[in-house]
Amino acid sequence: MGGRMDNELTLGDRLKVRSMIYVASEPIPRFWPMRTFIHHNPLFGLEHLSFEAAIEEANTLFHGRGYLSRSQYQEYRLAGKVDDAKLEKYLDDFLGALPGVLPGVALRKWLWSLLTVCQSEQVVPKADWLNGQLLHDVLHGRSTTVNRDTQQLRLGVILADKIAPDGPVYANIDRLFGTGIGQTLDELLIKSCLDFFDEGQSAWQAPGRDRGFFAAWKEVAQHNVRFFLRGLQLRQLLESGETPEGMVAHILKRLKVPEESWQRYITRQLTRLHGWAGFIRYRSSARRYYWAERFPADLTDFLAVRMVLGMALLQEAVRHHDCPANAEAVQAFVHADPLGAYLRLELHTGSILPAWAHRVEDVLARRRRPSFEKLAHAYMDNKSRWEGERQASHLRRLAATMGGDAEEELMAMTPAQLDKFMEVVRTWEKGEGFVWLRSMETHYIKALINQVNIPKASAPPVDRRPFAQAMLCIDVRSEPMRRHLEAVGDYETFGIGGFFGVPISFLGYGKGTEVHLCPAIQTPKNLVLEIPAALELEEEPLYGALEHVLHDLKESVLSPFVAVEAVGLIFSLGLIGKTVAPLIYHQLHDRLHADKPVTRLLLDKLSHDQADSILRAVQRAMIVRALIKEWNIPRDQVTDDDVRQLREIALENAQGPSDLAQRRHIGDQEETAFIQKLRDIYRVERHEMSLQMERLGRIGFSVDEQVRYISQSLLLVGLNRNFSRFVLMVAHESQTQNNPYESALDCGACGGGKGLPNARVFAAMANKPEVRRRLRDLGIVIPEDSWFIPAVHNTTTDAVDLMDIDLLPARHLLYLERLRNGLSAASRRSAAERMPTLGGSGRLAEEPYAAAMMARRQAHDWSQVRPEWGLTRNVYAIVGKRELTEGLNLESRAFLHSYDYRLDPKGRLLETILSSPMVIGEWINLEHYFSVVDTEHYGSGSKAYHNVAGRFAVMTGNQSDLRTGLPTQTVLKDGKPYHEPVRLIVLVEAPLPFVQKAVGNLVKIKALVGGAWVRVIIMDPEDAYRAYVLDDGAFRLQERSELSMSQPLTEDIA
Amino acid sequence: MDILVWIMAGTLLPWFPLSWIFNKLLASAPGFWAQALAILVFPQLGLLLLIYSGAWQALPVGLDSNLRGVALFTAVFYAFRAASTREVQVWARLMTTSGLALTWLLHGQNLDPLTLQSFALAWSIPGALMLVWAGLLEQRMGGAYLGLRGGLTTVLPRLSALITLTALAASATPIFPTFFILLHVVKALPLAWIPGGLLVLLLWGWAVGRFLQDLLFGIYRGELLEDLTVGGTWLGGLVLGLFAVGGIFWGGAWIMN
Repeated sequence: MGGRMDNELTLGDRLKVRSMIYVASEPIPRFWPMRTFIHHNPLFGLEHLSFEAAIEEANTLFHGRGYLSRSQYQEYRLAGKVDDAKLEKYLDDFLGALPGVLPGVALRKWLWSLLTVCQSEQVVPKADWLNGQLLHDVLHGRSTTVNRDTQQLRLGVILADKIAPDGPVYANIDRLFGTGIGQTLDELLIKSCLDFFDEGQSAWQAPGRDRGFFAAWKEVAQHNVRFFLRGLQLRQLLESGETPEGMVAHILKRLKVPEESWQRYITRQLTRLHGWAGFIRYRSSARRYYWAERFPADLTDFLAVRMVLGMALLQEAVRHHDCPANAEAVQAFVHADPLGAYLRLELHTGSILPAWAHRVEDVLARRRRPSFEKLAHAYMDNKSRWEGERQASHLRRLAATMGGDAEEELMAMTPAQLDKFMEVVRTWEKGEGFVWLRSMETHYIKALINQVNIPKASAPPVDRRPFAQAMLCIDVRSEPMRRHLEAVGDYETFGIGGFFGVPISFLGYGKGTEVHLCPAIQTPKNLVLEIPAALELEEEPLYGALEHVLHDLKESVLSPFVAVEAVGLIFSLGLIGKTVAPLIYHQLHDRLHADKPVTRLLLDKLSHDQADSILRAVQRAMIVRALIKEWNIPRDQVTDDDVRQLREIALENAQGPSDLAQRRHIGDQEETAFIQKLRDIYRVERHEMSLQMERLGRIGFSVDEQVRYISQSLLLVGLNRNFSRFVLMVAHESQTQNNPYESALDCGACGGGKGLPNARVFAAMANKPEVRRRLRDLGIVIPEDSWFIPAVHNTTTDAVDLMDIDLLPARHLLYLERLRNGLSAASRRSAAERMPTLGGSGRLAEEPYAAAMMARRQAHDWSQVRPEWGLTRNVYAIVGKRELTEGLNLESRAFLHSYDYRLDPKGRLLETILSSPMVIGEWINLEHYFSVVDTEHYGSGSKAYHNVAGRFAVMTGNQSDLRTGLPTQTVLKDGKPYHEPVRLIVLVEAPLPFVQKAVGNLVKIKALVGGAWVRVIIMDPEDAYRAYVLDDGAFRLQERSELSMSQPLTEDIA
Repeated sequence: MDILVWIMAGTLLPWFPLSWIFNKLLASAPGFWAQALAILVFPQLGLLLLIYSGAWQALPVGLDSNLRGVALFTAVFYAFRAASTREVQVWARLMTTSGLALTWLLHGQNLDPLTLQSFALAWSIPGALMLVWAGLLEQRMGGAYLGLRGGLTTVLPRLSALITLTALAASATPIFPTFFILLHVVKALPLAWIPGGLLVLLLWGWAVGRFLQDLLFGIYRGELLEDLTVGGTWLGGLVLGLFAVGGIFWGGAWIMN
């Protein structure tokens, strides 16, 4: 049978399977590796749907919940964070759609009580047998009568629902036989993934990874002792297909899954471990992802491995449990013995009444049919009764909390009315979360509208030159820093995406790979290199060398056997230091480490000759290094001509032997081996050279590009005049220890990276006379004494450090102390505001120095699970001038993007803001939202149980699905949500038609806004700053006045 | 007459296959309090019957190893069965049966009646406590079957804590007397039988591991339940604490002697 299946598949078949996998993967959000954690919307793949519909779909796909519990919303209501009027309006709207449905029943009162006082999560839970008659009997204390025929019919429906014909066969077998195949399959698949996708965490690597996931796994699986010991017959299975898509098709046919159900079947398989699937999906589509280029894999490989393992486990179960082996057989089994199937289902899915579990388990094990049927009927009668009693108890409790004549009303209902009543409540409960959410959002919307400053229309622009201006990231953590900076001195601040509008691919000094420092939705075209300004020393500092040795020792597989006694004590010193005195330990550690040398950025575009010259220089340096290392020939014994000749030979422009080899009597063979090493290891070879030339071509920016980026960013924030002496470009980064989520605390606008390189690039460009001259032509006049200084805001300690100070003109140094004093005062004030929320004493709010000390300690404490709150509690995004929010304490909850629509006649800048910073804000917001509402499915559970997987993600315990969301420590405090989950409320200060036009021009943004993934408020400066709120597809006036108007969002969305 | 004594003793102090009757008798006791009382009293009656009828001392030498062999088999068999059950009452009965069967291994050790009775009591107390907890669990959930609706720690933290501690006591975890007396059993066993003794220990470990897995882990998906009162928890904790402390002294004294 070997390869036959593949041969039977046509190209069309293969493409069909692959396209099905592609379609199935669409709802699965890509998962970026942890080192550049990208806050993303977990339902990104469903953003084409409305928010409400997407939540429902995601519930089916990922089994995640989309809203908080009722009791949590009730707590918010009691705390005044829910708009009651809105809550009532939604309730009235709901009831309005059901006119006269239950005459004589005060439905509004029932539902309002349910909403506001009922503590149960669900008053009408899902039930198998419950109906109005049953409930009526129970309520009136009558014995429940069962019609066997009706029961039989209902049983058929229950079984068809729970044993779906297009559900995974192994899952149906698990439900019927309790075989646990699904769990075992996940475990085996996760192990296989960990082996293949490892990015250097394991000391021993899986073999053959360069051939791709499925090919490498197939090779290993055939010799896997663990599989053999389990009795998995993989060899025969693996011989039936060569390609992964062939294997998938073969197994689907063998499982007798109807072809029209393949799509759903594949979707269910892929969404089962959606963390892993999301990572593989990201990896297979990422450009220049080192590990993916070396070890390719895609979702077809992943699915093929999953299906082979699933099939083998199924075969094993068939042998041991005599269970059906394919989809048709499962259905036949259920139809042949529906009573038995129901009992099995109840027992193995955990929905059985506990009192019956042991008895049912016993009887099923004995397989005595007569007692079996009797038991099944008795059980079903009891289950029905239990469901009725449970429902009656819920309703009676609700009626008791309502008081009045609610209980009499309940008792007076006929069976038909009870049926209808339950249906109404069930429908209401299904949509209740969305009602709460919108009502909560209304509270925040009103609060913002009432809070913002309304600029005076007649106020003339102030031309007084502030002492310094600072551009900070829109990140919510910049808000307190901006506020305090403005409060302590003569500072003017602006908000802009933390990449400052300059997307770069950055190759840091001493780093081997590029990082993209821009929003994840963009791909940078320009590469920026960081090069040391000082000479590189060959000698490594003693401490650094020692650390390398110890690190290598730690990674070795033999170390545990030989090195613990020898060097364990050395490690323990570090452990004690980090634990007992983290600040002192890190000060000492930093002193022992060599400082990073002063560096400069290679910013300007290279000409072809310059690029060629650089490449030659690098290759010559590599050859010199190779001669020292491989042949032990020092530099002073080699001439430039020798190096040039070896280079030409390596590039196949010349033939050996080289003069150097002849002079030193090195044999042909030895020289050939050396040349090969030059090509393989030192990358002096023709193909590599063309790649390097291409890369060098990407280095830097042309002057036109520099002018374009700088002008666009300055106009974007409304800064085109009145520049200060200092213009700070403040990037931000976090500083934490022992934290796999570190990059989640870095800059989201820089793709989860640190934004300092962007700030340096921006400042270097903006300080160039040539750029300034051309900016002047565009109407942006930067005075000669203005200097752009890059800086970095450490969001964990709140410290702001100025960078590239050595480039500062001498006359500016006079003012430097004042600038630093102002920055450090703002840092301390900010720390004093934050530390009490991070477990510090309330007194710290009055003691800024102590607060700053605590913040530094947090940054160095390796046991700290919550070094800072990060972006938690974000709720607003405000796009407009600073006057709107100046002096307001927005409690680190607002993304602030500066914008002046008057400088944007065509609306292009607004489109840029909406399509990039707003989308980042939306992703960050929804990542937090879903991590709170379902900490297990969308969040990543507790950090305390996390383990790093393959250096790219975390798992819970030693193996689990990749945890893609935020940990509970980030979003919960004392077990309650610290992040209040509402959708991002975006306030734009611009004329309403202007914004409508901008939104209408952007397809993606129109979908996001129209689908209500964000809430939008427009404050129209040309309409007396009245606020228009987008609600139910239309803009409605929501102001301090009671006017009520309505306008469509765009011409298309009404 | 001797045969009758042996049959009755083998039923009350479980010994395969009469252990089956012991379990049936326990299961048929009305209510969990009665079951708990029965699990405390039956083994004591069995021992008293053996000791005061003289049967314990009069057992012919040749039969001694057969009797002990069957007792060890009983312990292994019931430990194995406990590992595969999720019903708390059944688990408690099977684990207690497995432990009590080890009493027979002390035959020929010339132990005084009080020591023998204490030995049996050390297995009966955790069994009795577990039956009480199982009864309380059944009152709340309708049945004491674990692993159906996820872990119970979030809804019944206090009762879960008591059940956990009792399960550990029943499976001879250190600090509980069952652990110390198990050392004596190992000492009493011929060297060739040690693997059998270790097998019992291994099976208990497996059984308690599965039991706690079903009890503690997984997200609870059922109805809200009312936990044990604080007073009840303190009382249960006190009994377990006294059991542990008493066991340490008694076990220590036994070892010293």
